[in-house]
Amino acid sequence: MKKILISGLLILVFAVSGFALPQPQVRVKQMVDSILGVLQNSGMSPAEKKAQVSGRVQEYLNMQSMARRTLGAYWKDATEDQRQRFSDLFVKVLEGTYLNRIGDYSGGTVKYLKQRVKDDKAIVDTAIISAELEIPVQYKMIYQDGNWQVFDIVIEGVSLIKNYRSSYGEIIRRNGYEGLLALMEKKVSAMEGQ
Amino acid sequence: MLLRIFTLLFAGYFVLVGSVFATARQVENNNNQGIMTRASSEQPDDLSFDDFEADFGDDFSASTADAEKLISDPFQPFNRGVFWFNDKLYFYAFKPIAKGYRFIFPRPARVSVGNFFSNLATPIRAGNALLQLKFRDFGTEIYRFVINTTFGIAGLFDPAESVAGVEKSVEDFGQTLGHFGVGHGFYLVLPIVGPSSLRDGTGVFVDSFVDPFRYANLETREFIGVKFLDAETRLSLDRDTYEGIVQDSIDPYLFIRAAYAQRRLAQVGEDTYNINIFEGPLFDGDFLNPFDWFGF
Repeated sequence: MKKILISGLLILVFAVSGFALPQPQVRVKQMVDSILGVLQNSGMSPAEKKAQVSGRVQEYLNMQSMARRTLGAYWKDATEDQRQRFSDLFVKVLEGTYLNRIGDYSGGTVKYLKQRVKDDKAIVDTAIISAELEIPVQYKMIYQDGNWQVFDIVIEGVSLIKNYRSSYGEIIRRNGYEGLLALMEKKVSAMEGQ
Repeated sequence: MLLRIFTLLFAGYFVLVGSVFATARQVENNNNQGIMTRASSEQPDDLSFDDFEADFGDDFSASTADAEKLISDPFQPFNRGVFWFNDKLYFYAFKPIAKGYRFIFPRPARVSVGNFFSNLATPIRAGNALLQLKFRDFGTEIYRFVINTTFGIAGLFDPAESVAGVEKSVEDFGQTLGHFGVGHGFYLVLPIVGPSSLRDGTGVFVDSFVDPFRYANLETREFIGVKFLDAETRLSLDRDTYEGIVQDSIDPYLFIRAAYAQRRLAQVGEDTYNINIFEGPLFDGDFLNPFDWFGF
């Protein structure tokens, strides 16, 4: 009887610890390896690389959460339609910003320093090591839909989401919600025109 | 005679240090994969939970408009004016010159020039580490200065980092003020210098008093030339960060202001931004720091 109880307990323990798998750090590593795999592939054209990276990254990033956090306090005042338009534009702005940088990649490896997990939140510390630089990069993650998803990237202490939130917040205060959306639309079409 | 023995001992110590670190680096590189797997299979470090919430910041709580501003900016029209001026200066003067510089001199040469200036700025970093009572960082800076000035040929090379793995600790008087609780005051864009604040601008002024070039008996023209070379060297090594921001953000002024506020906050908050790549006490980057031996 005792044995059954103990083994039952053990199963429970394993089931609970298994809940959080795969580990956040492993997820980040998968994402980074997947991107590096594309970047280091010399047989692909820049346009192909862009499409590949874009497709692969979506799986690991929680764009919905990123958009919501970027709007912060303004999210709840926005209408459902505005939220949707903002989210779509925000994804395009991020893509335009980072995918256009793909050509700048010139080598470098990633070192995984530590991970901290608390309930459904996690922080993964990494560093990008290249010839003369060592850049600390931190991934903030949440556990959602059975997976760890990145919702913010902090580079040398500068949080991507906080930066967008701070500047977009000021634009909303100045130009209103529609004003921000109009500016974003303009920026996105300029990016696509390149 | 005695002096000679001391010199020999001194040199011996550094050679030893160098070889120990070189081996440590190799071992560490080989173990890289091992550390990775171990870290992911282990339970997270309990000690780090204290700063977990702080690191997450306000990301999970509703933040107010005030918190979003990150830094107050009452003189925005003036700042935007200077920002516009700096922008033109950058694109029409500094950047073209940096491009020519980049074209003529290979990267290693420019890195060495950068190292040279960085080595001479040691008094600023060491002095501010001392003011913040960060004795370890102070020791690190002194150690780096001694190694890089001698073995690094007047600071042109950085063997303290490339061989011994001892990294620079970036400190300035703005950070010292921040360390003792002084806030930014307000955001300030300075001509040529760029993003700053009342606090950090004061810091730059105070730091200029321990700048060796101030005491090098240079004529004003020569002094400006030296500072210009320093700035152009840094620009030539940079990968067009500013162009990227201008191109991609809706309002570059706001984006740079937010990044500046966040970056400075991180610099003030952290002891150093160095990441200790050695595991275990023997290979701790500070192990060979003389200040560590006396229990500072």
